[in-house]
Amino acid sequence: MDLSVSIAGIKFKNPVTVASGTFGHAEDFYDDKELRRLGALIPKTVTLFPRQGNPPPRIVETPAGMINAIGIENPGVDIFITDKLPLLKAIGIPVIVSVSGANYEEFRILVEKVNAAGVTAVELNLSCPNLGKHSLVAQDPAAVERVVRLAKKHSRIPVCAKLSPNVTDIAQIAAAAEQGGADALSLVNTFQAMVIDVEKRRSKLGNFTGGLSGPAIRPIAVFMVHQVYRRIKIPIIAMGGIMAPDDALQYIIAGATMAAVGTANFIDPGTPLAVLRGVEDYLKRHGMQRISELRGSLQS
Amino acid sequence: MKKIQGVYKITANQKISGSYYHLKIAAPDIGRGVLPGQFVHVRVNDGLEPFFRRPFSVFRGGKSLEILYDVVGPATKQLAAKRPGETLDVIGPLGHAFTLPDKNIRVVVLIAGGVGIAPFLTLTDKIRLKKLDKILLYGGRTKANIVSLKAFRDNGCRIHVATDDGSAGVKGRVSGLFSKIPLDPSTTLIYACGPRPMLAAIQSFAAQHGMRGELSYEEVMACGLGACLGCAVQTRKGYKTVCHDGPVFPLEEVVF
Repeated sequence: MDLSVSIAGIKFKNPVTVASGTFGHAEDFYDDKELRRLGALIPKTVTLFPRQGNPPPRIVETPAGMINAIGIENPGVDIFITDKLPLLKAIGIPVIVSVSGANYEEFRILVEKVNAAGVTAVELNLSCPNLGKHSLVAQDPAAVERVVRLAKKHSRIPVCAKLSPNVTDIAQIAAAAEQGGADALSLVNTFQAMVIDVEKRRSKLGNFTGGLSGPAIRPIAVFMVHQVYRRIKIPIIAMGGIMAPDDALQYIIAGATMAAVGTANFIDPGTPLAVLRGVEDYLKRHGMQRISELRGSLQS
Repeated sequence: MKKIQGVYKITANQKISGSYYHLKIAAPDIGRGVLPGQFVHVRVNDGLEPFFRRPFSVFRGGKSLEILYDVVGPATKQLAAKRPGETLDVIGPLGHAFTLPDKNIRVVVLIAGGVGIAPFLTLTDKIRLKKLDKILLYGGRTKANIVSLKAFRDNGCRIHVATDDGSAGVKGRVSGLFSKIPLDPSTTLIYACGPRPMLAAIQSFAAQHGMRGELSYEEVMACGLGACLGCAVQTRKGYKTVCHDGPVFPLEEVVF
């Protein structure tokens, strides 16, 4: 059975990966030989300079999900490359590094540094403020196209744009990223959300608002992947509340090339491998030889 | 020790006092590796409510993994309804353990508030045979919040109790007990676990008197593995994770 998928000519041995920000530091929980079975790893977003992150409380539990406002706490791209990346690369599967710049210049430098560090691909986390006319890059098609084009110009490795679901028409943003030359899209990031402590009449998050993830968002994210798949030609790495094989299968049937397990890693770190086994079983059960037979096979 | 995830049978789950329950799980591979102050991350059920696991300090390790917990919300309420024979998905042992006293230490003071007593039994199990003066200062809202005194006495502790309503021990706060005991800072080590105002009071008193020690801290936690960075706590060295860098921190390090 052939589970392999390819993005911009790069082959991944299967479609299951882990979403950015849900995996960092947990490496020591796994045996390398288990991790090695995944299609790729996407570590937590890095920025040009170290970021200390948001004040606590940073997370809150919600019905079938969670809201986080971590604030992209990370040691900065240079320390990431010297201290963390070698360990991730040693696992022996493709590493897609997620980066977020505060302006175009930062995106350019990040893309160049990540290229020089020798990774498989770079993911642009576009859910950052300050670049577009709207509040997030990912909400402004022109800004998305421009930042992707800039990244492509400075990158030898594939560039993937991670989109925010907090938009009116995600297919329009996806088309802008494709227009800018993106090799792939990651969707979706978290949904802006909050929980209010009624006794204190305050937000339950130190940062006031945060991003909702988990099974609560899955049906919306599946629909967005479906919408985007019909509009564009580049591969999609889908994520949003994948807890079990069926969830990943929904995304693949909707058109995703890869499926990333995110929040579920916090609940059951065995989820990515369970999802992989389940996808394999599904193909067997349905007499399919290749994962590509399943991709975008949604019947109308 | 390597973190282990497994599904284990509950062997006992009993109410011991008020809203406090004592849970025993047949998880010898985790139980035998637990260091004092470490915790386990428990999935209360297979569904989505509650969504997160819940972290619990290990009350006692060994062949059986023991947890002392307070029923405070929907998750612990579900846990309290579990019967022997049912199973739980547990990850552990997790987190940074207490540092054991070195040879210059003569007096160990354990300061517990309510269910904050939980990590101290394993600690006293570990130092039981050492020639140390072991003092347990134990505070709670009321008599029902003061449990397991015999186990601590068996481990050689001298116990002083304070309750808010005076129903056990003296009336008042445990931090008040602490300030009344004469201690030599150079040979004393403090361990504290309890509500934040208590920890803040202990930290400030210890700082004034030049005393060293450690505290065990609590925060809402998602992964428990250091992955999500959700359980950040402000420390004098920047944000740290309670699950991975803690839950035990040097007494002076946490910023309240």
